[in-house]
This record gives sequence, C-alpha cells and structure tokens, in this order.
Amino acid sequence: MKNIYSVTQVNSYIGNMFAQDFMLQAIQVRGEVSNCKYHSSGHIYFTLKDEKAAIACVMFARSRGGLAFRMQEGQQVVVQGSIEVYERDGRYQMYARAITPDGVGLLYEKFERLKSELSELGMFAEQYKRPIPKYIQKLGVVTAPTGAAVRDIIQIASRRNPYVQIILYPALVQGEQAAPSIIKGIHALAGQKVDVIIAGRGGGSIEDLWAFNEREVAQAIFDCPIPIISAVGHETDWTIADFAADLRAPTPSAAAELAVYEFSGLEEKMEEYAAALHRIMMQRCSAYHRDVEKAAALLRAASPMARLKQNRMYLLRMEENLQAAMKESLLRRRHLLQLYAERLKGLSPLDKLSQGFSSVTDVDNKVIADVDRVERGQLLVIHMKNGVVKARAEQVERVIR
Amino acid sequence: MKKQTLEEAFAQLETVIAKLEAEDISLEESFRVYSEGMELLQFCNASIDTVEKKVLKLNENGELDEF
Repeated sequence: MKNIYSVTQVNSYIGNMFAQDFMLQAIQVRGEVSNCKYHSSGHIYFTLKDEKAAIACVMFARSRGGLAFRMQEGQQVVVQGSIEVYERDGRYQMYARAITPDGVGLLYEKFERLKSELSELGMFAEQYKRPIPKYIQKLGVVTAPTGAAVRDIIQIASRRNPYVQIILYPALVQGEQAAPSIIKGIHALAGQKVDVIIAGRGGGSIEDLWAFNEREVAQAIFDCPIPIISAVGHETDWTIADFAADLRAPTPSAAAELAVYEFSGLEEKMEEYAAALHRIMMQRCSAYHRDVEKAAALLRAASPMARLKQNRMYLLRMEENLQAAMKESLLRRRHLLQLYAERLKGLSPLDKLSQGFSSVTDVDNKVIADVDRVERGQLLVIHMKNGVVKARAEQVERVIR
Repeated sequence: MKKQTLEEAFAQLETVIAKLEAEDISLEESFRVYSEGMELLQFCNASIDTVEKKVLKLNENGELDEF
C-alpha cells in the first residue's frame, strides 16, 4: 500500500514546489483589475484577469511603496511579485510587490509628466505664441504623404484659395522614426520660407499619436521661427505638440481652414475698399462743389451789376406804384364826378323845363320866384326847353296856397 | 513704398478711409489721402498672385517635386 498523506502535507508539498520555482518568485503579470478592495489594515486585495482566466492577488501594506496610484476597477496593470500557495485554503495567489499602469496608462503618465514639466518651463506660454498671418502665399505641411490628413488639408486649402503654394514634407508620423522625421520636416519647411506650417496627422490611438508627445518635437515646434499650427488626430486628442504650437487645430481639415484664407473674401474686401474710397471722395467733391456754388451765388449777389439791377428794379417798381396810385386817384375822382353829375342832373332846372315847366328871370338873369318881386309892365325872361321868351307882366296877382 | 503685407496694407486702408471721412479734412489733404488709398489698392492688387499652384513635395535632397 502506498503512503497516505494528510491535506496539510500535500499543500505544503505544493507550496514548496512553487517556492523553488525561480520564475514564480519574480514574475510580471499583465491583466485587468477587478474586485479591488483596499482593506483598513493597508493590504489590498484584488483579482487580476484577462478574457479567459483570473488570479487572486494581494498587496500587503509593507509593499505599498510599489504602488504610486489608486487602482481602479477594470484598469490594465502590470503586477510584479511572486506567486505562492496559500496552504490553508489550498489556493495559490499572487503577492504584489509593485504595480504599474500598463501600456496606455504608462504613456498617459509620461504625457502628463512632460506636459507639466514643459508647462513649468514656459514652453506653452501665451507670450511665445506667434500670430498666424492672415494672407499667406506659401503653406508648409508636415504629415504623412498618404492618408486622410494630407488629402483633407490639400483639398480644403485648394478650395479656399488655389493660389496658395502648398509645400509638403512627407514625414513619418508613427513609430520610432516619426519624431526625427517630423523635426526634420519642420526645419526643412522653415528653410523654404513658408508663411505657416501645419504639422499633424490623422486620428489614432495614443501610441499612434505618440511622436507628437515627444519632447524633441515640442522643442522643434517651439523653436521654429515660422508660426506652426498643430493638427493631430481628432477634436478630443490633445498632444504635447498641440500645447507647444502657436495655434492648435482640432483636426487637419480645421488646420487648413485656419491657415488658408478664402480668396473670394479677399476679392470682396478689396472691392469694398475701392468702393468706399470712391464713394467718400465723390461725396467730398460734391460737398465742395456745393460750397463753391454757394459762394459764387453770394458773390454774384454782392456785385455792382447786381446792385444796379436791384436798384433799377426798385425804381421800376416805384414808378409802377406811382402810376398805379395816380390812376387810382384819377379814377376815384372821375367816379366822384360822375356821382355829382348824377346828383346835379336831378337838380337841374333844365330838366324841369323839359317837362313843361319854365323858369322866369329878370333881364339880369336872376330867377324870380316871388310874385312880390314882379311889377306890372316889368320885362320878364321865360326860359323854356328850347329857347327864351321875353314878355311883359300884364297883371300881378298874389294867390294864397 | 516700403515692403509690406496685405494685412498691413488693409490696416492702412482703414486709416485712409477714416481720414477721408473726417469732417475737418481739407480739399488738398483729401486728394492726397485719396491717392494714397488708390496706391494701397494697387499694391494689394499687384501683390495678389492669381496663378493656380500645384502641390509641391520636398524630397530628401531638399528639392521640390510635384506631389
């Protein structure tokens, strides 16, 4: 009969096997954090897993120096430590001595570190930003010669203004050689005396965009005497190059819009200026013309000829007034005369004569209206309508009426 | 006239127009300012290049090729 072992013996045996395994004593395991518990004792318990498997992990309080961040559920980490058997439960688990964020996380940390470092150095300060000239003639582009970024930039730039010269520096924008290639491109385009440089690439993961997070690239952008517009990835991607650039465009397309002015707008602007100049000058000229006219009119009015003419006019008017007054006066008197004539006519004795009455006078032509003035035998003149009769009074008789 | 950019020329045109619009400008001054404005416009027209450009590519030797 073979030996029979106790559970303790078995677990102890397996524990020894693990302990003697060189690899298990110092191993690095990559995985996703789950069931992470920060215990009040200072120990951290969590599970490290991937798509297919899981392993229990513990980091004791004394090892906490190996963890520089607070672990989050689902975070990708690399755990460094040993794998040992927990004999009481017959389980093995990982004892973590150091935990670091994996891959992307590492890059992100690197990014944050460089960003704050360069920011403290003042590389991102507003005062160093060069203004982007508005009306450019030459545009430099540092990007990959294939792909959406270069196509978008060329398409938008040419549509806005086909007269702007685009010079492309075909750069590597991904991988080990990307940073030196981008730096070389910036230097080369500065040498071509372009007005503005667009440096960028299309979207991708943080690893893809990494060249734009390198210190040397940021330094080249900062040192470049020509204004640089960064255009890396999408709207949400921020790189160190974006902070160092004179202007950050959210995308390569946007960079082309920011760098290249619209030619039609320029034409319109020029026409407006020409129109404004002409309009104001014309207004001014006609205003001066009016002033001159006004002065001439005043001068003419003040001339001796005008004075003479005015006096003559006055004279003429006075003459007219005089004549009118004279005429008026004559007319009034003629009327009066007529009126008197009418009245006289009514009183005229001749009128009475014509109706069969006669007038009697003495020889001196004095009217005799009283019989008492007539003596018998006195010569009387009887005036009739068409002549006179001389007669003698035969008899004088007084009648009482 | 000194070498200048379109932007500077436009800024000067703004000044010229403001001067021309001022109430107290004399006739002689307005003619002088006007001709200055016309010269600026001529400069702008002359400095606008209306030849369509092909995209150029810098090669390894620093020479330009058509892209």
